[in-house]
Amino acid sequence: MSRMTIPIGPQHPALKEPLCFMLTLEGEQVVESALRLGYVHRGLERLCQQRNYIQNVHLVERVCGICSHTHTTTYCQAVETLLGLELTRRAQYVRTLMCELERIHSHLLWLGVLAEHIGFTTVFMYAWRDREIVLDIMEALSGGRVAHAVNTIGGVRVDLDAARARSILAQLAELERQMDVFLGVIEHERTFRARTRGVGHLSPEQVRQYCVVGPVARASGISVDLRRDAPYLVYDELDFEVITAEGGDVLARTQVRVLETLESLGMCRQLLEGLPESPLATRAPRRVPAGEVVSRCEAPRGELLYYMRSDGSDRPARVKVRTPTLTALITLPDQLRGVNTADVPTVLAGVDLCIACADR
Amino acid sequence: MDAERTASPRGESSHSPRDAALGCAVDTLREALAPAVLLVQALPIDDTCVTLEPAQLVPAVHVLIHQCGLYHLSAITADDTGDGISLLYHFWDGHGLTLRTVLPAEQPVIATLTDLIPGASFYEREAAEMLGVTFEGAAPAGPLLLPDDWDGPPPLLRSAPEQEAAP
Repeated sequence: MSRMTIPIGPQHPALKEPLCFMLTLEGEQVVESALRLGYVHRGLERLCQQRNYIQNVHLVERVCGICSHTHTTTYCQAVETLLGLELTRRAQYVRTLMCELERIHSHLLWLGVLAEHIGFTTVFMYAWRDREIVLDIMEALSGGRVAHAVNTIGGVRVDLDAARARSILAQLAELERQMDVFLGVIEHERTFRARTRGVGHLSPEQVRQYCVVGPVARASGISVDLRRDAPYLVYDELDFEVITAEGGDVLARTQVRVLETLESLGMCRQLLEGLPESPLATRAPRRVPAGEVVSRCEAPRGELLYYMRSDGSDRPARVKVRTPTLTALITLPDQLRGVNTADVPTVLAGVDLCIACADR
Repeated sequence: MDAERTASPRGESSHSPRDAALGCAVDTLREALAPAVLLVQALPIDDTCVTLEPAQLVPAVHVLIHQCGLYHLSAITADDTGDGISLLYHFWDGHGLTLRTVLPAEQPVIATLTDLIPGASFYEREAAEMLGVTFEGAAPAGPLLLPDDWDGPPPLLRSAPEQEAAP
């Protein structure tokens, strides 16, 4: 059968962000694919070297429009380590709370995108409607829906009183009730299962070879989660399960993310109920002592890494950002090999790509 | 040159099997590559940095994968420090292990890791584009992040001019 190569992107029919694929097809099946990034490359690592540490908090918040808080958390954790700053208890709690709210937001957004790509508009509408609950919470806390500016070097910039905590708990309870709909879809909805089972398969061996992280790795049976394995902030005080699944396909990734959302809801409840009283931030000096640091956090898509080198001035000498999406992108040619053209959007959506993160 | 694993503030005790794996990794590296291990130092947060001769990188990674079961490469950082191009290979298995090697700035060449770790390819391509490092043996590929018509120097080199922001 003759082969045909089709460029898809950079203005993409399936994704909202620019990415280019060259798909080689044989009939309906993908036999080969090549990937080109860089359409939203902003040179952020170099920009970080040209700004001081506090300006960079606002810059790294803009690496990503979804996991912006995790970026500043990982960045601030690096700077605070170099400064030898200890966060106050309340600051740690608020920071962790925002991390988990952001995970809920990210997973619900992703669920909607996936549902839309497989033609399941009802779930798309429900997921994005329910995502508004968590966006409302974050907006009430910080003033921003996706860029929160909650973190600063040495602490956090927002606080909540007991009344606010109670109202958030009520909103989260409502969201938890809505999650039943999605659990039902994963377990019982025949069309949804048929469109996602076996699609975009990754074996545990492939996950290891490609150094994949986060929900994609966990959906292939690799139990890895920095919140449990290398706890930061107050994760070692929280009670939660690391969700894994064995399928390695888009269905397993959906199971993992929906169940993780429930775990995050439980973590938010624990954080709000146990919020300690203390100041919010410690004063941080502008100059950072010379040194190096490797900072890692579990972003909604998996391990996020910042490497930072300071030369003792008020600007970092090098900031390296490795986002979890890069580890997922590299698996796509393997995942796409042999799938039907109609399933390509499902595969792409299934790994939860954030191109802005990957390009930086 | 002692491997001083600083007391970690992150509750090490709960991860004893992984601790053992990492302790094994540093000791095994020393044993296997004795004269080539130049320096072992603690790197915050919770990382150990082993400095090696560039030629020993692939043997070292071979040891990590096959003798220590340490296969997760989180990232490769390339850094123009002024004293050559540093390459930092950040591994992770509950704790971090970073392999550092320094290449001469005039001719930064090192063997590829993609035969051992296919997941290293994007990180190597990025280091090649941004700092002009040549990875010998890597499959040829076009640009990953920079525009097709980029004709300036690798943009993360110290010698590269700062770009003005677009108005």
